Amino acid sequence: MTDGPTRIPGQRAAVIWGALATILVVVSTIGVFLIAPEDADQGIIQRIFYFHVAIAIASLVAFAVACVAGILYLRSRDERWDDVGEASIRIGLLFSVLVVITGSIWAKASWGTWWVWSDPRLVTYLIVVLIYAAYFVLRSSAEDDRKMRYSAIYAIAGFASVPLSFYSVRVAESFVHPVVFTSGGAAMPGTMLGWFVVSQAAMIALFVALLEVDLLGRRSERALRRLAMRLESA
Amino acid sequence: MRGRQLMALVRKDLRLELRTRETIVAMVLFAIVMLAILQFGFGTRDDDLTRFVGGLMWVTLAFTAVLGVGRSYVAEREQRVLDGLLVSPVPRTVMLGAKAIAIFLYMTVVEIVVIPLVGIFFVKGPYWDAIGWIAIAAVLANICIALSGTLFSGLALFTRARDLILPVLFLPALVPVVIAGAGATHAVAGGPHDMSEWRGYCLFLLAYAILFALVSVATYDAVFDD
Repeated sequence: MTDGPTRIPGQRAAVIWGALATILVVVSTIGVFLIAPEDADQGIIQRIFYFHVAIAIASLVAFAVACVAGILYLRSRDERWDDVGEASIRIGLLFSVLVVITGSIWAKASWGTWWVWSDPRLVTYLIVVLIYAAYFVLRSSAEDDRKMRYSAIYAIAGFASVPLSFYSVRVAESFVHPVVFTSGGAAMPGTMLGWFVVSQAAMIALFVALLEVDLLGRRSERALRRLAMRLESA
Repeated sequence: MRGRQLMALVRKDLRLELRTRETIVAMVLFAIVMLAILQFGFGTRDDDLTRFVGGLMWVTLAFTAVLGVGRSYVAEREQRVLDGLLVSPVPRTVMLGAKAIAIFLYMTVVEIVVIPLVGIFFVKGPYWDAIGWIAIAAVLANICIALSGTLFSGLALFTRARDLILPVLFLPALVPVVIAGAGATHAVAGGPHDMSEWRGYCLFLLAYAILFALVSVATYDAVFDD
């Protein structure tokens, strides 16, 4: 058996996704601030929309990945799926907090107040943050197999709660937020839509890159532990 | 066969409760104390809190639900009944159903006290003609509470700091139920009935119940998989 410097699987993927995410984030930031047309009504603050909405959608992607990873964990009991689930929720939670913060800034600029309870999106994301913050409380208070099992179940139940939170605050239908996407398509000019797509791609690439790096860290940690064990037994 | 198992488990919970009267009496008392605390917390000398009636009612019910759901597995755990149940040939979904029915019944008893009390304490406008509509929304909300409560209390059961974990897991999931319950109550209490709004919230509660029933049935096997 050769014990040369072994490559941890996934190293290349982490580098590629990291590079892609960096390029896309830089391009979308330049595009959003310098190239995209200024909103006639809201002015510069409207540019926060490109990040706010893109991060929101990326966080939902992260939670969906965690839900699927939860299902796969319960089926296979393979701890790699637990890694994917935890890493996804950690990134998704970070993104959701950013959604709440950017939403709050947007609210301050548009309506003059940091928090608006009648805005369904802001309130929904607050609930989503609370739901997924509890995931880590649950994880920290259970052990080993039980921890992974409970986390998987909670990731599934949490993802079921997300659409419920969305609809619960919308039943009353008191919209104050500008509705940009309607069922009839996007209500914005083509260049704005173009830059929105770029910044959406940037955020999703950022999620995948962060996920890959996180998983790489876990894999290296495990490889290190195996190595230490082998050294001990030798 | 499954029906008989289900009834046996429900009877066991109810008989235990009737003998000890530990949970329901505490839940009802807790709910009444909650109502009083909310009144004093508002700090108003005004008797008419009609504008807040949905909030008063559903905050009280949500916290009482946490208390009741937290108690729901204690007997099984302390007397090691759970071990016996888990090795017996009872499908996990039957256990889920039985526990959900027990929680549903406890919550119903609490609501039979709370919903009229809220009217007596806080509402000076028309209320009693709406009580039937509020009761229907409460029954739907109870199904939601029972299903999600059973799942989350199962998750919290073997964790450290179980009493702290349950509210942290359960209350965020209850937020939509509180929103819909309070919304439905406000739609009909203390003034002209807005039936389309009431219907919207009730349909939402129904959707919540169906979704959580599916999630619970799909995952409950894994909760007790030791």
